[in-house]
Amino acid sequence: MTETPPPVAIETVRKSLLSRVSMVWAIPFLALVIALFVAWQAFDARGPLIEIEFANGAGIAKRQTELRYRDVSVGLVEDVTFSDDLGSVVAHVRLDKGVAPYVDAASTFWVVQPELTTRGISGLDTVLSGVYIQGSWDSIIGPERTRFKAADEAPLFKSGQKGLQLALRTTPGGTMTDNSPILFRGIEVGRVGKARISQQGNFAIAEAIIYEEYSRLISPSTRFWETSGFTFSVGPSGAEINFSSFATLVGGGLTFDTFVSGGDPVDDGAVFEVFADEPSARGSLFNASEVETLEMRVVFDSNIAGLAVDAPVELSGLKIGKVQSVSGVIDADAFGDNRVRLNALLSIQPARLGLQDEVTPEAALRFLAARIQEGLRARLASASLLTGGLKIELVQVDDAPPAPFLTGEGIVPIIPTTKSEISDAAATVEGVFNRINNLPIEELLNSAIEFLNSAEAFVSDKDLRETPQDLRALLGDVRGIVTSQDVQNIPVTLNAAIGRFETLLAQLEKDQLATRLAAAVDAAADAAKGVTASVEGVPALVSELEAVAAKASALPLDELTTQLTALTTSADAILGTEAARQLPADLGAALNEINATLAELRQGGAVTNINATLESTRQAADAVATSTQDLPALVDRIRRVFDQASATIAGYNKGETLSRDAQAALRDISKAANAMTSLARMLERNPGALIRGR
Amino acid sequence: MEIVGQNPNIISARDIGLVACTRCAKVWPAGTQTCARCGSRIVSRDTKSLQRVWALWLVGLMCYVPANLYPMLQTRTLLNVQEDTIVGGAIQLVHHGAVGIAIIILVASVVIPLGKFMAIAFLAISVKRVSAVSKHQRQRLYEVVEYIGRWSMIDIFVVAIMSSLVQLNTLAAINPGRASLFFALSVIFTMLSAQAFDSRMIWDLQSKSEGPPADD
Repeated sequence: MTETPPPVAIETVRKSLLSRVSMVWAIPFLALVIALFVAWQAFDARGPLIEIEFANGAGIAKRQTELRYRDVSVGLVEDVTFSDDLGSVVAHVRLDKGVAPYVDAASTFWVVQPELTTRGISGLDTVLSGVYIQGSWDSIIGPERTRFKAADEAPLFKSGQKGLQLALRTTPGGTMTDNSPILFRGIEVGRVGKARISQQGNFAIAEAIIYEEYSRLISPSTRFWETSGFTFSVGPSGAEINFSSFATLVGGGLTFDTFVSGGDPVDDGAVFEVFADEPSARGSLFNASEVETLEMRVVFDSNIAGLAVDAPVELSGLKIGKVQSVSGVIDADAFGDNRVRLNALLSIQPARLGLQDEVTPEAALRFLAARIQEGLRARLASASLLTGGLKIELVQVDDAPPAPFLTGEGIVPIIPTTKSEISDAAATVEGVFNRINNLPIEELLNSAIEFLNSAEAFVSDKDLRETPQDLRALLGDVRGIVTSQDVQNIPVTLNAAIGRFETLLAQLEKDQLATRLAAAVDAAADAAKGVTASVEGVPALVSELEAVAAKASALPLDELTTQLTALTTSADAILGTEAARQLPADLGAALNEINATLAELRQGGAVTNINATLESTRQAADAVATSTQDLPALVDRIRRVFDQASATIAGYNKGETLSRDAQAALRDISKAANAMTSLARMLERNPGALIRGR
Repeated sequence: MEIVGQNPNIISARDIGLVACTRCAKVWPAGTQTCARCGSRIVSRDTKSLQRVWALWLVGLMCYVPANLYPMLQTRTLLNVQEDTIVGGAIQLVHHGAVGIAIIILVASVVIPLGKFMAIAFLAISVKRVSAVSKHQRQRLYEVVEYIGRWSMIDIFVVAIMSSLVQLNTLAAINPGRASLFFALSVIFTMLSAQAFDSRMIWDLQSKSEGPPADD
């Protein structure tokens, strides 16, 4: 039997906490610790919340829109709400803790949006990513602030940006393009910000910045001017269009230049004037800067059109000011009557007078007052011949009547006037125009038209057209005469006459009628004298013919017909003239006395008469020879007449037939004339042969 | 054992003084410390099992909160960046008409994890208290929880695949959000929690409540 062992008191050993609790609890504990740590860290890293007030939302989205500083995200918009009065949009921006201290009262904020300007596109990245808020603050920790008002647009001076800060203001009355680049040699070296109008409203002023690397370009003698738009000029080299860049053409811009080298660099805040263009900017360099103008007044006796506002006021050709306003004035007290006078208010720029000591309106007034005492007077003068514009000239007039010159508080001093000098040039030009106007242009034209009409009528005249036919008929007649049997019979008749003459001589010899012969010779001599006398008329006739021919050759077209007709008639008259007929008759009478056999001489027709003349010439011996000395000349002249006629006819050559006919006729005439010439020569050489028949 | 499911009077190994090796299933007399066959440590009941379950369950739940608050997916296109939480993404899908996908996402990412948390908690509580749910049903529940746990990772897979495929530089890119990490952790911890549960305990308490089984 085994003994039951005594029961062992089982001592339940309480296990330690470590053994009772699983190690796995460390995991949730660790997780909790990590979570708490992360939560604390996240809370600790949170920067302050600032509020930025915008005029409108402009694409600001909560939890999406970033706040950037130098294009690095330094915050996020947590919420977008309205201000209490719904007047603006408030963006609550959670700042990064690192930059939060710097976001002080001097910070500025603005929304960066895509922008399309003449200078290009900016903020393009925001098209995809949405807008963002750009902040700008300096690197100095200033007084804290949590509510800001955003700027409407990016400020010109961004904190931290380096550059020369200037103020640009327009010349009084000038204009300026704001929000535009400042170009130098076409390079953007700065920018002009938003301009504002001065309190008095007489100029605009804008902040400008010149980027630091270019700030040495600016010196006190630097002048700025507008390069907006373009200039168009027509010169000797053609038309020119100028503009500095497309950006400035559309958006405007400023440029500058330093015309005088040297000069100290300028400090921030310097004020420069902006001129309208380069010449005025350049010109201003040599003038003291424009100061307040001196107002003066000129009253002209008559109200003359052409003086406009801004017309120049010149002293010795130098512009010293301009007309500020023009009005009529009636002041019976001052001028003694009620006529309307031209009252011009001048603004004179003292700086332009070149005063040495002080450039003030008062000094200018003193200067002008002294000059007026010496005879300085104002007058109107033509500024431009074309436009008729007037300007006011201040000229020195010798022995000018003294004029009162009132100055004082509230009085606009009046410059006395002298005789204006406007009519001369205008009157001259007007006179020229008047004379041109008075030219009888219409009458002249009418005459010309009538003349042309007449010419046309004349040319198309039936008579004129028939002229060639008449001429041809005439030439046919002439040829008919020349080739007529009578003329051709001359030699035969001559021979017959000689034969009979020989018979006669033989009879004379046979009859030995010497005494009768002597008497006959004496009678022949007497007759020859008569012939000479009658022949003396021939040269006159010839000269008349020649004159006729000359006239014919010199005749203009319109008289050609009549002259030709006259020529024809003259020729007819010559051929059928009584004197010509008479000449042979006289000769014949003389011969009749010598020889009865010559009675057979044919009568009627000029040619037969000539034949008879020749026959009697044979009897006329030396006297005849003497008389016939003129014949060659006569023949020559006739030939010349016919040559001229030929030339005239050739010039009037209308048809070949006519020409041929005329030429043939002329040739015939020429031949006849030649024959006559040779005959005459023979007679000249040997007059005796005629008598002797050899 | 094929009729175990239908038999209410189930005798556990512990009741008959045995202990089974959880690794090689060799049954040893109670009190055996080490399995002589596979060498693994043998305990009849893991007393610290419930502590592990609860600890891991808590971590899983802690991770599940940021997993739902933070964005799961960051979709960056040319024009904007969109970050979606799990529920937000599902709602967006519904708005786009993809109701089916939204349901899948909601089931995989919300219903199943939440169900797991509840199931594990229920099981862990039920081993200490009397439960209306039968042992068989709870065993079935445990098996389902263990089986389905891994499928919760489908969300993580989707995010991983999407973010590796859709990387078109500036045009479009999908990146995993912070929630994906927490979600993955949450799934992992719930799976570990489920595994830490000693399912043998399901049978113990009920055995006691139903009275000591009759000795053989």
